[in-house]
Amino acid sequence: MEEAIPIVEMRNIKKNFGGVQALQGVDLVLHHNEVLGLVGDNAAGKSTLMKILSGAYIPDEGEIFIEGKKAHIANPWDARRQGIEMVYQDLALANNLDVAANVFMGREAVSAKLGPISIMDEHYMGQETQRLLDRLKIDISSVRLKVESLSGGQRQAVAIARATAFNTKVTIMDEPTAALSVAAIGKVLDLVRELKAQGSSIIIISHRLEDIYQVSDRMMVLRHGRKVCDTPVAGDLDDFNERVVAYIIGARDDFAEGVGKQQ
Amino acid sequence: MSTERFKISFIKDVSKILRQNIRDWGMYIALLIIMAIFTITTKGVFISSRNIGNLIDQTGYIAVLAVGMTLVIVIRDIDLSVGFLAGFLGAVAAISMVSWHLPVYACIPLVLGLGVLAGLLTGFLVAQMKIPAFVATLAGWLGYRGALQLATMSRGTIIIPSDAFNAIGNGYIPDIPGIGILPGVHKLTLILGVLAILLFIISAINNRRKMRAYDSKVLAMHLFTIELVFVSALVGAITWVLAGYKGLSWTGVVVLIVVIFYNFVMSRTVLGRHISAVGGNPEAAELSGISVKKITYVVFGSMGMLAGLSGILFASRFKSATTTAGTLFELDAIAAAFVGGASPSGGVGKVTGSIVGAFAMMSLTSGMNLMGIDISYQYIVKALVLAAAVIFDIAARNRAKE
Repeated sequence: MEEAIPIVEMRNIKKNFGGVQALQGVDLVLHHNEVLGLVGDNAAGKSTLMKILSGAYIPDEGEIFIEGKKAHIANPWDARRQGIEMVYQDLALANNLDVAANVFMGREAVSAKLGPISIMDEHYMGQETQRLLDRLKIDISSVRLKVESLSGGQRQAVAIARATAFNTKVTIMDEPTAALSVAAIGKVLDLVRELKAQGSSIIIISHRLEDIYQVSDRMMVLRHGRKVCDTPVAGDLDDFNERVVAYIIGARDDFAEGVGKQQ
Repeated sequence: MSTERFKISFIKDVSKILRQNIRDWGMYIALLIIMAIFTITTKGVFISSRNIGNLIDQTGYIAVLAVGMTLVIVIRDIDLSVGFLAGFLGAVAAISMVSWHLPVYACIPLVLGLGVLAGLLTGFLVAQMKIPAFVATLAGWLGYRGALQLATMSRGTIIIPSDAFNAIGNGYIPDIPGIGILPGVHKLTLILGVLAILLFIISAINNRRKMRAYDSKVLAMHLFTIELVFVSALVGAITWVLAGYKGLSWTGVVVLIVVIFYNFVMSRTVLGRHISAVGGNPEAAELSGISVKKITYVVFGSMGMLAGLSGILFASRFKSATTTAGTLFELDAIAAAFVGGASPSGGVGKVTGSIVGAFAMMSLTSGMNLMGIDISYQYIVKALVLAAAVIFDIAARNRAKE
């Protein structure tokens, strides 16, 4: 049906940890400007799958294609070079640094070099960070605020902004709404919508089905290392919930391999 | 009426600055209070040019260690080996001049280079072998203590004959000859002090102007002016006191260079930012592409070099290398860093703060010595100050989080 080359395609991904088959041949497709929800019970393999895409794990078998080209992702830096950024659940931020320093952590702008010493361009980083926050409609009063003084929702917003700041093609969010207040969850979901409106392609891992329902175009369910459902997000929330939960807990297992794939 | 109102708003502003930056300013105020108390109790002897000059020379060899220790504490490590490493390297400096007849200009780079090597060895144990820094540097503490005793075994105290070397710990910068005004005042020191104040004001104004472009939270103009006046007055007062005796000492010059360089690296360079990031969240730093290993090597390498410098300052001040040189320096440096606002949980610590901490601790020693207070009470007073500083720091941080 769809002719466009997907931005990410993972084929037949397998990964074993000792004797445990964490992933038993999973396929994943993410299209341009699509938000894909990835759900499943604990140990269903969703984090493992995303860690493979972001370079934290190397798969035992399977191939990854980025925009149709076969990609070799052996570590997080390979993934970043391919334009894949992961927002970690435990927030990869340094609390002792300010917002701008966190956004630019590891890729500081340099204004001058004195031999081995590179002087930072603080003003450029401050301005760019302010621009980024404005663009994503993130409400933080100053880019010079230390991250430790921000609320949970603001920190999550900074972590997401940071991941999407540098020519990112695909942003992976691992439980972006976990441990947040209801108001903060709303803001994070707004941020995801804003990113989609601006053309980002996003994969969200979450336990909270209603969050995924609100922002995703499509949902994929993993169970025991297998894809058991791949469906567009549509219809009534309650019906949708009921159907997906059935797949998550294994009450329903009628998903034919290949139906979700483009043939 | 209007002056009255001005007074009230002035006091309000000052207390506002203090409340907002209590962690940054707390130790400066603590140092001022300590100095004021001793000035009163010693009837002015403490604040005399001669005593302050001595105080700076006595603090120098701890201060440079405290600067390096700040970085080590920022990346959540500790270095117990640097005291005896400083003592041992001081002995190497003495031997290199006395037995190997090295000139001073060769001896100093040699000692600093050996310091870097020793620091990299610690870095290897911590970063590569994953040994906790406390254990790795405890081994260093034992090892360098033994090395120091071996080096000084044959002759006990090694007297250093080089005047140039000994001037580092005892000499003063020369004055400009032939100026008639202000007899008895060190003119070059005054000029340097005025230049420092001017540079500070210009760079602060520049910085503020650039910050305004994107940050709404710059200090309001009158608060900014109060800050400028306070710092300028402080630098001016220190300059005036020093100029009243023999001027700025070479030890003072060394400490100033070290502080300015390290403060610059920590606040303005990518390396400094990476050191802070590793201290704040090592996993996040690693995920961002910062090599925690490399940063660990750099920080311990610099610590080793500063231990070499400390050894040179100490040996030069006493014009000799002794068997007990460097004893407990590491703990004085650690205490100075904590009094100066470094956080035991890592990520937080300023080079300037540690220097103030070092001077505060040495002021306590000097002031209590002048008052004739018994050494046993001195330790107890210092214990209380250290504990109070950390309690204050934690309280201020919890309040800032609210």
